[in-house]
Parts: sequence; structure tokens; C-alpha cells
Amino acid sequence: MDRIAMRKFSMKQDDRPIEPTMEQIQRNQDFSKLYHEYERLTKRGKKPIYRDPKLYLLMVLIGIIALLLFFEG
Amino acid sequence: MNSQRKHIKQLSEPEIIELAKTDQKYFGELYNTYFQRIFRFVFKRLGGNEEVANDLTQQTFIKAMANIAKYEDRGLPFSSWLFRIAQNEVSMFFRSQKNGYTVEIEDWRMKDLCSEGNILGYMTQEDQEKLVGLLNEMEQEHLDLIELRFFQEMSFKEISEIYNITEANAKMRVYRILEKLKNKWTASL
Repeated sequence: MDRIAMRKFSMKQDDRPIEPTMEQIQRNQDFSKLYHEYERLTKRGKKPIYRDPKLYLLMVLIGIIALLLFFEG
Repeated sequence: MNSQRKHIKQLSEPEIIELAKTDQKYFGELYNTYFQRIFRFVFKRLGGNEEVANDLTQQTFIKAMANIAKYEDRGLPFSSWLFRIAQNEVSMFFRSQKNGYTVEIEDWRMKDLCSEGNILGYMTQEDQEKLVGLLNEMEQEHLDLIELRFFQEMSFKEISEIYNITEANAKMRVYRILEKLKNKWTASL
């Protein structure tokens, strides 16, 4: 059943051609937007440090040690 | 930046593809070269839905960008690889539409289809509607080929490049589908 197309055809009722205009093409052509979207998607898996509990604790520990060493000195 | 653009312009397409494999910024040149063809292709397959065409074209190029390192030049145009990705994106979109997605066809395209399939010489509006109904009963893969040949006006060579088959094989597949459609038409009379 899933081999039957989910797309259906129908006859066009008006004379407007199914072709994008140059304006539509230019409006949608934007490599910098695509590049940023690509970067966002590919870097999506990286969590910020404060959201990683283990790394966050480690950073706090390093901070405390650094502080203790500072006061010790 | 200008000198970089000038530098890119002096490169051949295979050279740009090789550079794009290690630095995605070079992909911009390929994007600018092929955006119009891919957008036009998707737009027409969707029957003129600009918003979805833009989304699917963007998805096509993002996937191409993510997979360009795996791209191998097998003697086919780079565009056929992009068309294949776009074709998959459109098919996935159709499958995701639980209530179906309707694509409008211009009547002259139906006449072309009938003429090449030797189905019917003169078509009334009623005949066209009936034939569209028969088309709608066909399988997705068959409709894809019909679309490429008659609604996208692609040559058998272009179709063969997208499907990675021989030109003769592409021609044979299209004519088999037309034959099937013709049989359905005859049976419906």
C-alpha cells in the first residue's frame, strides 16, 4: 500500500505556467544562509560547558583549587 | 575576497569539487552554479510551491555539502548527483504528506505524454481527467520517471544520469510505463 504514491496529480485549471520567476530564484538563492544553517546543524551536538554536569564540576573544582593556591600564597 | 573569487573562476569544476571536499567555503561556487537548476526542478515537481521548494532545495544543498567528501567522479555530470539528492528529498516530502500532495499538470504536458505513449490522438477535458486518475493509481517510482520525462522535459540521457543507468535502459523503463498506462486506458474504455 505504501508503494502507492502519496502525491496525486490534477489538471491545472489556469494558464499560469509552473515555472519560477527570476525574482523567486534570486529571492531564495543565498549561500551565506545555507552555510550558517549547515554550521548550525553540524555543530548541533556540542553542548555548552555549563550544560555538561561532569565538565561543569571539573571546572568548579579547578577554580576552587586555583583559589586555594592563590590564598595559600 | 575578490582575488579568491578570481582564483576560483580560473579553476575547473573537478578542481572546485576537490577543494570543496576539504573547505566548505568552496562549495559556494558549486551552489551558485547549480542553484537555479535545482530550485527550478524542485519547484516544478511541487507544482509551484515556492516555500517548500526553497526548503527542499536548501536540504538538497546541505546534504550535498555534508557528503561532498564521499563524492566520486564517475564520468557523470556533477549536476546528476545533485538532481539525485533533490529527487530523494522531493520523494521523502511526498511520503511525509499523510493526506497526499497534489501536483497540478498543464494540459499540454498530458497531450505530450499521450502522444509519446501513443495513447490517444485527441483528448477532451474528460479524457484528461480520466487519464490523470489512472496516473494516480500508478506506483511512486513510475510516476517519478513520468514526471522527469514529461513534466520536467528531461532527455533520456539526463534521466539515465540521475538513475545511474544506461540511456537505453532509461528509455525502456519510460516506454514500459507508458505501455502500462496505455493498457490501463484501454481496459478502462
